Amino acid sequence: MKGPLMQPPPQLAPFPDRAARHWFLSSIVWLTVVDLFGLVLATEFITPEAFGGISWLSFSRVRPSHVNGVILAWLTMMYFGALFYMLPRLVGTRGMWSERLGVWCAWAWNVMYALGVIGLLTGHSQGREYGEFIWPVDILLLVIWCVNIVNILATVQIRTVRPIYVSVWFFIASPIWLAVDYAIGNVIWDPGKIWSAPSGALTNSLSDAILNWWYAHNLFGLWLTPMLLALTYYIVPRVTNTPLYSYTLSLVSFWGMAFFYTGVGDHHILQSPTPAWLKTIAEVSSWMLLVPVFAFTINILGTMKGNWDKFFTNLPLRFTMTAFFFYFLVNIQGAFEALQPFNRLTHFTNFVVAHAHLALLGAFTILGMGVIDYMVAQVYQRPLFSRNLTEWQYWLVTVGFTGFFSVLTLAGFQQGFSWAQGIPEVNVLPQLHAYYIARGIFGAMIVLSGIVQMVNIGLTMFSNTAERRRRETLKIAEAVAPPVGG
Amino acid sequence: MTDDAKRSDEPKVPRGWTRHPPERMLITPLVAGVGGLIAFFIVVFVVVWLPIHTFDPPASADWAPLTDEAVKGRNLFASNGCYVCHSGYSRPQDVREALYFLYPKVSQPGDFFGSDQTPNLLGTERTGPDLSQESGWHPDDWQLAHFYDPRFMDPLSLMPSMKSLFSDQQVNQLVAYVETRSGKSGLLRYAGTLYAKHIVLANQGFPQPYTGFQGAHKPPLEGNDKILRVPKGQLEEAGNLAQIDRGYWLAGDPLPVTEQNLLRGKEVFNERCVGCHGPDGDGKGPGARFLSPTPADFTDKDDACCGGDTGPGDFYYRILRGWPGTGMENFGDRLSVDDIWRVVLFIKTIPNGGLKEDYVPQPSDYIVWQPTKELLAWTKSRQKLQDNATFSKSDELNDPFVQEALRVMPGLSLGDSFKINDGKTQLSIRDAATGIKTIYDDLLNRAWDDARARDDKLPAEAQKAIPPTVPGQQ
Repeated sequence: MKGPLMQPPPQLAPFPDRAARHWFLSSIVWLTVVDLFGLVLATEFITPEAFGGISWLSFSRVRPSHVNGVILAWLTMMYFGALFYMLPRLVGTRGMWSERLGVWCAWAWNVMYALGVIGLLTGHSQGREYGEFIWPVDILLLVIWCVNIVNILATVQIRTVRPIYVSVWFFIASPIWLAVDYAIGNVIWDPGKIWSAPSGALTNSLSDAILNWWYAHNLFGLWLTPMLLALTYYIVPRVTNTPLYSYTLSLVSFWGMAFFYTGVGDHHILQSPTPAWLKTIAEVSSWMLLVPVFAFTINILGTMKGNWDKFFTNLPLRFTMTAFFFYFLVNIQGAFEALQPFNRLTHFTNFVVAHAHLALLGAFTILGMGVIDYMVAQVYQRPLFSRNLTEWQYWLVTVGFTGFFSVLTLAGFQQGFSWAQGIPEVNVLPQLHAYYIARGIFGAMIVLSGIVQMVNIGLTMFSNTAERRRRETLKIAEAVAPPVGG
Repeated sequence: MTDDAKRSDEPKVPRGWTRHPPERMLITPLVAGVGGLIAFFIVVFVVVWLPIHTFDPPASADWAPLTDEAVKGRNLFASNGCYVCHSGYSRPQDVREALYFLYPKVSQPGDFFGSDQTPNLLGTERTGPDLSQESGWHPDDWQLAHFYDPRFMDPLSLMPSMKSLFSDQQVNQLVAYVETRSGKSGLLRYAGTLYAKHIVLANQGFPQPYTGFQGAHKPPLEGNDKILRVPKGQLEEAGNLAQIDRGYWLAGDPLPVTEQNLLRGKEVFNERCVGCHGPDGDGKGPGARFLSPTPADFTDKDDACCGGDTGPGDFYYRILRGWPGTGMENFGDRLSVDDIWRVVLFIKTIPNGGLKEDYVPQPSDYIVWQPTKELLAWTKSRQKLQDNATFSKSDELNDPFVQEALRVMPGLSLGDSFKINDGKTQLSIRDAATGIKTIYDDLLNRAWDDARARDDKLPAEAQKAIPPTVPGQQ
């Protein structure tokens, strides 16, 4: 039994990717957990007494857990995994400055989120939207975050490729932005009552609201979105094997993001009694945002030119470009939503919920799924266990999300128009029932998609798919041309 | 860009116009990191530092501090995430467009003065209603029943029940917060509700309601008619009529008694009323255990349904505007005028089995109401045009406490004065206004004392003396 097909393919010296592995695998598990939180919420919208009597499954406690989990457990861990995977490859090192540190941080991060979420589910919350984790958890989070920043900067410092690629700009700037944003936004210097009720807020309520929403929006503006750009800037040229269309445009997207994304926070409270000039800045910034968005869009479309065949054949690219489309949509939608006349109609309704999911689910999560499918295969140096499962994952999340988004957008308009006619909230609830049922069904598809991914990645890890594929190929080859002398 | 797997592959020939970076435009790590931070801090200076250091509105005339009890309730409200469904400010369009009783005024910057107002609870979604103006619309016992299970009070509600989340003590703190969070106008409304509760209980011989969630595990409270001593020559229903605008005392139902009207009335009843008045209409719904006085029993041909003061107009007014002091809410914002009249028609078929399942109430089930001679005499002596507050030119009507007294006692004219059924409490608009002012002052003083003891930021003492206002749509 000798022949070329029997030899394992030549291996390049592999990257260690230990840190990336830990962050990725944690994120995959958390995705299902936070999805399930979402499903609990969707169920409670249909039958509020579904989990009656279980205090820690109460809507008001699960929702902050869901929101914080999506941002901090699933997306952040996925992003750091991708960062630890990409950075050594982009700057030409044999791994992160300290892979061990990255692994420790991954475990510490898991503990951090678990502590935070236990706090929320037992009624220990700061009571500020998106900044709910109590002070000790905030501190733990920031420590881990700073260690990660050190690891990243040290890796950049020991790089062998001197010019740094677009993605690396974001890898340097974005974690620093977020660390500062998180520290200021959570009023980290004022622990208040640490273990019990609200801590970490400014003493002036409206200043606190301004700070709160500035901080909350920058979770997206200065962390989740720049990282989406960084990952897309990597995946698209890498998979299509095409150089990035324009360096200049990527400069525009980087600096535009830094300047315009930071000041939009007040558009979350446009009709509140906060200063009008601040609202104007928020509205104008929300539109100026379109400058970096279009720069990025043109850049990616330019790179994709002539490569669209791969959209249909390459699954990670399909995930990435689907996310890219939703990302473009969320920005256009967001710009309109930030205008007073439109905001008056849609604010406080499910339209906003739909918008938030367009960003966090449609764009970031679908991108994250593609990135994981691509990078985990590279990390384990074997194809994914099953392409069919990946197809299922793609269609479940895409169809599930599209339905979810459409249903909530319609429900939002229904609420907005009804309220504008003077119909009180409670009278609109029966009309929303059907929407809520549909949302639950589409939501279940999204949960299922995450589970499919978890199964697929797990099977990839625990079965040597490369070997299996090789045997399958060999079998076919032998059937076609039996080995000489066999 | 370094590759791992396909390093041997040559990059494809660029299609179209690919630009290459000129040297001077290369970003170094230092430029990305430090430059990025500089850009960040420039914007932060404008949108965070500037507003925080320049925007410090003084306390509005309507602002009031919270008591310690209410602050504890507020902390529970925040740490249990209630703000994810309930916003904490009413917007201009809520007041201008939505004629909704929860939003009598637009939130002002000065309403959020004070260190007991943090963390901010502005909120982003309204799955439930805004609560910034909630104080005083419902009495405490309604709030307790609603916290225990919101479906008791509103079968359409999506709110989770709070019985597994809070202890008796905690839920009382939450009630204290909800009932006093809306500034002076809210305190005035709450004082009016408390005063009305006092009158209603005394007038009907009911004990004080249970506090905490314990009410759920005790039998419904019962009134004690024996302790009542109706003053001579006075109508027994006088106290009740004092809470119904006199224009409605003898009003008839404008809708004809038809099968369609009755059926629609039944539908609305089953959708909204069964939590308190019960699926059988006997006033023994699941929420009734919390309430004092207990909800009306409609099954009796001679009493609540059709005797005494309960003409169609009285029923209509109570559904439209509520019955201050009892658990009866105002449904005027949620039901159309026609639907309310249909419910009134339907209620009068309940003694004849109108509520039976799968049964279409028939016009023949409808019981025609006959006012008693005494009632006719009483109303005749009082239904004069000049008795109607709307037509009065008295300066007294500018007093917010008189205005609030008229909200909870709309059936009293400025000249009316009589004893209620406990035989000792004198009732007139002036008595009511004085009573409400006493309660209001007490609430406000306790809040100020607590805030001082907490060392909170407080406005000048003069702010406290500014009288409350009754905002727009009460």
